[in-house]
Amino acid sequence: MKVEDVVCPFCGCLCDDLVVEVDQNRVIGVENGCTLANEKFMGDRRLENPIRKEGRSWSDITYDAAIREAADILIDADRPLLYGWSGTHGEAQSVGVHLAELLGAVIDNTSTVCHGPSIMAIQEVGHPGCTLGQVKNRADVIVYWGANPIDAHPRHMSRYTTYADGFFVKEAFKERKVIVVDVRKTESSAVADEFIKVERGGDYAILSALRAIVRGKRDLIPPKIAGVTREQLFRVADICMQAKFGAIFFGLGLTMSPGKNKNVRNAIELTEELNRHTKFTISPMRGHWNVYGSNEVFTWITGYPYAVDFARGIAFYNPGETTSVDILRRGECDACLVVASDPGAHFPRACAEHLARIPTIQIDPHVNATTHLATLQIPVAVTGIDAEGTAYRMDGVPIRTRKLFDGTYPSDLEILSKIYARVKEAKGS
Amino acid sequence: MRAALNTGRTIRQGSYVERKNSPAYREEASSLHMNRVDMLELEIEEGDHVCVRSDQGAVVMVACPAEGLDRGEVFVCLGPFANFLVDPETHGTGMPDFKTTAVTIEPTTAPVPAVKDLMEQCGGSGYEG
Ligand code: SF4
Repeated sequence: MKVEDVVCPFCGCLCDDLVVEVDQNRVIGVENGCTLANEKFMGDRRLENPIRKEGRSWSDITYDAAIREAADILIDADRPLLYGWSGTHGEAQSVGVHLAELLGAVIDNTSTVCHGPSIMAIQEVGHPGCTLGQVKNRADVIVYWGANPIDAHPRHMSRYTTYADGFFVKEAFKERKVIVVDVRKTESSAVADEFIKVERGGDYAILSALRAIVRGKRDLIPPKIAGVTREQLFRVADICMQAKFGAIFFGLGLTMSPGKNKNVRNAIELTEELNRHTKFTISPMRGHWNVYGSNEVFTWITGYPYAVDFARGIAFYNPGETTSVDILRRGECDACLVVASDPGAHFPRACAEHLARIPTIQIDPHVNATTHLATLQIPVAVTGIDAEGTAYRMDGVPIRTRKLFDGTYPSDLEILSKIYARVKEAKGS
Repeated sequence: MRAALNTGRTIRQGSYVERKNSPAYREEASSLHMNRVDMLELEIEEGDHVCVRSDQGAVVMVACPAEGLDRGEVFVCLGPFANFLVDPETHGTGMPDFKTTAVTIEPTTAPVPAVKDLMEQCGGSGYEG
């Protein structure tokens, strides 16, 4: 059976035009998807049943026993951390936040190690963003700053920017100018009209120089800044100021490099300067599928987008203190629930070491690096394959994903709801 | 040799991200992309093993030449190999310096560990199933 208009559950583009061929409870073909989508659907190899570590060896347990044990670990903990959430749907994230409140836990999502600094900058100076549809139909200048979409969001260029014809941009490839800013040559920089190669750590200085140029202060600019000639910066500023509609997309090259949130703030302020001349927008390239949704769900329930600490009985947020990497490196949490992410692979080693020291419960369909650190793993259905739910695209548009078949695994929502019910009963609330 | 370690996504890393215990993922996550002249200077060839060390620890990776990198710059896709070297300090932002880790690189004949081995070095117990 072929299912049309399937939403891809891999990256923040949430492409919703896939055609997926299903044979009973197996995907046997994918059309329109990129390499990442094909691997997501076709290379899907799951953990078969819940597993539990005793001493240094592993054994299979039932779902009921695993749910009981997970709830008991969380109830016994003084400072539990509930981390992950970006690979699952909004309904499950919502139960996670309520569970955190009930436990007095810290709940954090993967933006803590991707666009957390972008959110900090947006909280300082706002977000002049727009939907990807606006970009596709209107933008004649695209800037990718510290982002490599060809590797990380393979269809971003073909669906929304470089190669996507739009209502006002009839022949995108000819009419759109693409500027790439990065510290290294990438596949994406190879297709750019202008590639600005910045010295490592030089993004803030280049952003400031461009702001000065856009403000009309060309005479202040030295011949070379962070490895970039002023002639190139003048040229790029002119391209941007002459645009009818420009769109900046930035990636982890800004959020993880020296300056972090201040880099992003400077980029947003450059966008503001450009709006004195023309229309310009700026948006983060959200990576892990529904990570934007985790920010939305956390915010509408707690008021804060990530790193929310309920230890005081009310929501408290302070990046650098209540963020997962800091809590783990300080050895502060005494239990961790990991949902739909892999901190074992994606956090610094010192954090992985703490996860191995404490009871760590993982709810995830696959065996990953965190599995080896965990005490307990509960396999679940994959949202967008055998579970349905709502996810947010990188531009904040919510999209409903569907189940392609009825599988044998419970969804994240079912497992979390059962853990929540048991904790609620134990707390007598 | 001293170098600055940068990390980021690659399409192969993304392709195998849900099969982290596969040989294909290990191959991608342990590839140390470096400038050809630096490789000449270290007297190593593509596929040779190197010990990469930071103030957080050391891990064995496989050298491979990359066109887009300057001398003294190396790149490893995000994952457990790179993270063996990254400092967890976040300077009050929640975000470690994933893109700028000072490392030293030297040739070695030691084997490249599996992801499971790395997690066991962190105190975990490998799951074989
Ligand atoms: S670009 Fe992203 S959302 Fe679109 S098909 Fe590829 S992985 Fe899926």
